[in-house]
Amino acid sequence: MQGAPPLILQLEGVSKIYRSGDFSVTALDDVTLNIRGGEIVAIMGPSGSGKTTLLTIAGALLRPTHGRVHVCGTDVTNMDESHLASIRRQKVGFVYQSFNLLEALTALENVRVVIQNGSRNGRSDAMERASHLLETFGLSHRIHALPKRLSDGEKQRVAIVRALAKDPDLILADEPTANLDAKRGYEVMQLLGQKALELHKAVVVVSHDNRVRQFAQRVLWLEDGRLRDHD
Amino acid sequence: MLLVARKNLFAERTRLGISVGGVALSVFLIGILLSLYRGWSQQVGGFVEHVPADLWATSDGTTDFVAAGSVLPDSLGVQLKLLPEVDVVSPLIVRPMAVYRAGGSRSDTFDVQLVGYDPKIGLGGPLEVVEGKSPPGPGEVVIDVEMHKRHGVQIGDRLVKGTKSLTVSGFSRGGDFIYTQVAFATLDTTIDFLELQPRTQRTFFVLTLHDPAQRDIVASRVELAAPGVHMVTGKDFASETRDRILSNILPILIVVLIVAFVVGLAVAGLTIYTATVEKSREYGILKAEGFTNPYLYRVVFEQSMITGALGFLLGAGVTLLLAPFAQDTVPQFVVSVRWQDIAAIAAATLVMALIAAYIPVRRLSNIDPVMVFKG
Repeated sequence: MQGAPPLILQLEGVSKIYRSGDFSVTALDDVTLNIRGGEIVAIMGPSGSGKTTLLTIAGALLRPTHGRVHVCGTDVTNMDESHLASIRRQKVGFVYQSFNLLEALTALENVRVVIQNGSRNGRSDAMERASHLLETFGLSHRIHALPKRLSDGEKQRVAIVRALAKDPDLILADEPTANLDAKRGYEVMQLLGQKALELHKAVVVVSHDNRVRQFAQRVLWLEDGRLRDHD
Repeated sequence: MLLVARKNLFAERTRLGISVGGVALSVFLIGILLSLYRGWSQQVGGFVEHVPADLWATSDGTTDFVAAGSVLPDSLGVQLKLLPEVDVVSPLIVRPMAVYRAGGSRSDTFDVQLVGYDPKIGLGGPLEVVEGKSPPGPGEVVIDVEMHKRHGVQIGDRLVKGTKSLTVSGFSRGGDFIYTQVAFATLDTTIDFLELQPRTQRTFFVLTLHDPAQRDIVASRVELAAPGVHMVTGKDFASETRDRILSNILPILIVVLIVAFVVGLAVAGLTIYTATVEKSREYGILKAEGFTNPYLYRVVFEQSMITGALGFLLGAGVTLLLAPFAQDTVPQFVVSVRWQDIAAIAAATLVMALIAAYIPVRRLSNIDPVMVFKG
């Protein structure tokens, strides 16, 4: 019998308080969250509820005010910037609301540059892998297109390929359907969910789009910085 | 070379063009000014350097050939000739003056460095006759060919000063001092033309020795035996002449060179900085994806280096292309392009590129990758 998949993301009593002069805003309040490989978790909540803050802390981009963060068993809470960059490079893939592709690079180059970063892969190996991944996502005819020539759905698919390209254990998606119409949003979420399951990735999707719920195994609700199970 | 650096740089062709153009303009200005300085240096010291003399005798306190403030008695030549080490002694009378062409406007004068020499000895006379008759006869003068080019003086023309005139009998080469040129006449003609009193006055003596290695010994002996006489080698006298003329230009030249450098630096720095600011979000994306600050610094440095290299190639190319034609348009624009100067400009461009990247690089370190999650 197989054991439980490994814990990929652990947040223990995480709080984030933004201070400005005499004022302070609590964006996250004592959040605890465990996510295992192959699990897709949707975190829903209204605007300003702290979803993006949660995502950036989970993605080793932001340090919590209190609590601890583990990514793939490594405590990243007090790591210095160069080690955090290494964690992001090896363990975390991001999918953004506004795609965030590099405008001067083609679809292939956007993926290739991430594969090559800090790896021993040569240029041709990286090209081959990027090309293969784009083909898998039905983008073989668009690999040499610049982002400005891609539709929004294609851009988001390239962004997902980029997130998967470095073979991370954790994928963090911030409102991935926000800039897509219903059909494209559905396709993108279906693709993300399918690939995450196939490749045993832990996926966190933060969104206020109800369509996301159907792809998640767990749906959590974040409001006023506090996390709870969704009704 | 990093893909991101190259692609980002060449994606914005107008900005790249402005940036490369700014550096190229700077390189061109620095190149042409340095070449002009070199050209003038060669030209103004050229005649003195090329007179095949081992020593020049001048009166103490003489600064240079062009000012020609030296006054020596003719008898000194006899004394110098008695020295066993001395082979040839040639007296020269040198005077700067302004003349005009007979038949032309009296106000249309130009500078001439009149050199009276002994044609029988030849030393200190025309270096290379290119046209006409030389040595000049009584009342005649051989002028530098640059005087012919710049002022249209022809063989047969008369050069007038006061009530006296000299007839041009030929053209020589190698006596151009940019703002003045040499004109050679015999000693007697020069004495008459200048109405020199006493007639035994001389400006310089040029000497050749049996053994040039004894130059220093002879110089010391003469200076000891004849107080008020200063002996100097042709090379040193040429250098003093250069310094005298170019030292007035050098501070201005340095200021213009600095301005040119700053212009190139400002254009390259500003365009790279604005490119970095515009791409802040993309640098944030790269940071979020795990690219380190040193990688991003390399992107900006490479962009700056490529801009600098392209600007250098363009600027140096234009300098090399235009320099030979410059003198045809402006005769005083005597340039000499040296590879050492081109190498120095390449080093200056490298420094320019490094400084231009410094501020954008500092900005990169402050980019917060969290920004990529906003909007």
